[in-house]
Amino acid sequence: MAMRQAEDLILRDYIVSAASDINAGGGSNGDNPTNLGLSDFSLVATTLDSNNAYKFMSGIEGMDRFGTGPIRSAYFMLSSTELQTDFDSLVGQGVLNNWNYPTNASALPSEWGSVFNVRILTSSEAPVARGASANAQDVYYNAVMGKQAVTHINQDGYSMNLIYRDPYYSGMLAQNATLAVKFAQAQAITQDTAIRNLLCTRLSSLGGP
Amino acid sequence: MAEYSRLAKGHFTSTGQSQVVNLPFQPDRVELLNYTLANTNATSQNVVRAYWDVSMGQGQAVIEGYNATPALIFDVISSGGISSFAAGQLLQYGPVYSHNSVASADFSITAANPAVVTTATAHGLGSGNVVIFSNLYQTATTGMQQMAGVPMTVTVINSTSFSVNWNASGSNYTAFNSATSTGNVGSWKQVLYPYLYAPEQAVITGINRTVNEQFTGAANTIQTAAAHNYQVGQEVAFRIPSPWGTTQLNSLPDVLIPGSPIYWYVIAVTQNTFTVGQNSLSAVPNVAGYTAFNPNQTFASFPGLKFPQVVPVGDVNSGGVQISAGSQLYPPPLLWNGYSNTQASSINGPAIQGAFVNNTSQGFVVGAGAGRVLTTASLVGANGNVIYWAAYFDDLSVN
Repeated sequence: MAMRQAEDLILRDYIVSAASDINAGGGSNGDNPTNLGLSDFSLVATTLDSNNAYKFMSGIEGMDRFGTGPIRSAYFMLSSTELQTDFDSLVGQGVLNNWNYPTNASALPSEWGSVFNVRILTSSEAPVARGASANAQDVYYNAVMGKQAVTHINQDGYSMNLIYRDPYYSGMLAQNATLAVKFAQAQAITQDTAIRNLLCTRLSSLGGP
Repeated sequence: MAEYSRLAKGHFTSTGQSQVVNLPFQPDRVELLNYTLANTNATSQNVVRAYWDVSMGQGQAVIEGYNATPALIFDVISSGGISSFAAGQLLQYGPVYSHNSVASADFSITAANPAVVTTATAHGLGSGNVVIFSNLYQTATTGMQQMAGVPMTVTVINSTSFSVNWNASGSNYTAFNSATSTGNVGSWKQVLYPYLYAPEQAVITGINRTVNEQFTGAANTIQTAAAHNYQVGQEVAFRIPSPWGTTQLNSLPDVLIPGSPIYWYVIAVTQNTFTVGQNSLSAVPNVAGYTAFNPNQTFASFPGLKFPQVVPVGDVNSGGVQISAGSQLYPPPLLWNGYSNTQASSINGPAIQGAFVNNTSQGFVVGAGAGRVLTTASLVGANGNVIYWAAYFDDLSVN
């Protein structure tokens, strides 16, 4: 596990525990929550707008390029890579992959694309509750957040240390190899109205790894 | 050979329910001694000593107790014994209990308040554990799907029966039975570590606008499906979708100060209920005049059903848990952590009351299981028994 990944996983688990949820209802798979439908993106962005959340990104103006479209100012949604097939199925209905941005200069490396006022970042480490839906399908937690929703504090002068002592001698008298990380951090939800976990299932199970 | 080994000892007073012992390591060997029963005349079904090694398997134990004669004998517990745990990642679940997953593992749920689950074989749960349900279709269009997917605290009635904090007495609920349901795919499973962070957002299952309106409790009291871990003095915010009724509690919209969320103060708490007092708009809110909470959601509405929730938004500005006789020097928060109905100390040190705390933990659990011969014994002893324990993590584990 990468050293900084531990910090990210802690913040992830914290958001899943503490932020309020919206179950997706715009999909068609008949579950609770449903798969993501376009109306879910609209609903969550509208909710955050109504709650006076700040958006992360300003929009991208349209250009005269085939297959592209203007991008709205947007909140970030942190999603699982396993949902990318569902996003692909919505392309052409308001969903734009980042390669369809007028310019993807401002697209982040993990950015999958954009829907209405939401820009989607995907990660294999996004939280998934296996078999937890009403119909026993996997439930995906997509944290949609405004700029002022969450803060993360690395405590002063105490970032992260990798503690590693190599097994230079393997024997009964020198069993002192160790590998650990040590860090001091704090997280807080600074504005609870500016964050929602949009819960969803998948359109269909893909199988595979 | 003591480079990596860990040794710990201590004692606790049994509540008669499974007991969690938090440690800074995950033991591979545990020994128990029931001091109270050792100091009692030989009595049938009294378990005086127990021993567990991780190689026996989780939930097992060797016990030493009195048979009917009474003579001291050895026996084995195969369920509800001792197990180690490491609560470090969210969203882990126990085995799925459903039709065909275990021989004759059918179960039923009553359409009552509270809903009562009856299982064909021992459910293995303790009061305070948390479960979720799935696929509660009695027919294609009836059943109890409205409560599926919600983490709920369990109250054990007996070894094959438990209740959950859900009012399923409404006309839209049809009693569920996995033996006769559509497709027989209904299931439940335990949420192993439901409280890695506390306090948590929680699903609301009842609101008493007046005394005992929807459950036994005071006026202005809210019942949650799973433990909320709020503190007296804490601020909370409500998110109640309109089908559930009591939208006047919601933090937004605020008609007096647009955009400013309405937060409520908690003035009393139990494991699954809390009472609200004044809010940020009014010192004496007229909760009795609000719309009644409506748990009787239609079956057809369950796809995409949004649940009523409460979230913690502010801590208590009076510092941490107060030191008291017998407490730790800097007492950590006491939390209901899903292992039992008893609050346990966080292993992560002191914290401001009501502030979010990381509740990751590890250690071992002493169950209330019975033996193969001593069939009505309880490993953890009776309420009030003093249990001494020693836990080990060994340097060298050959097998």
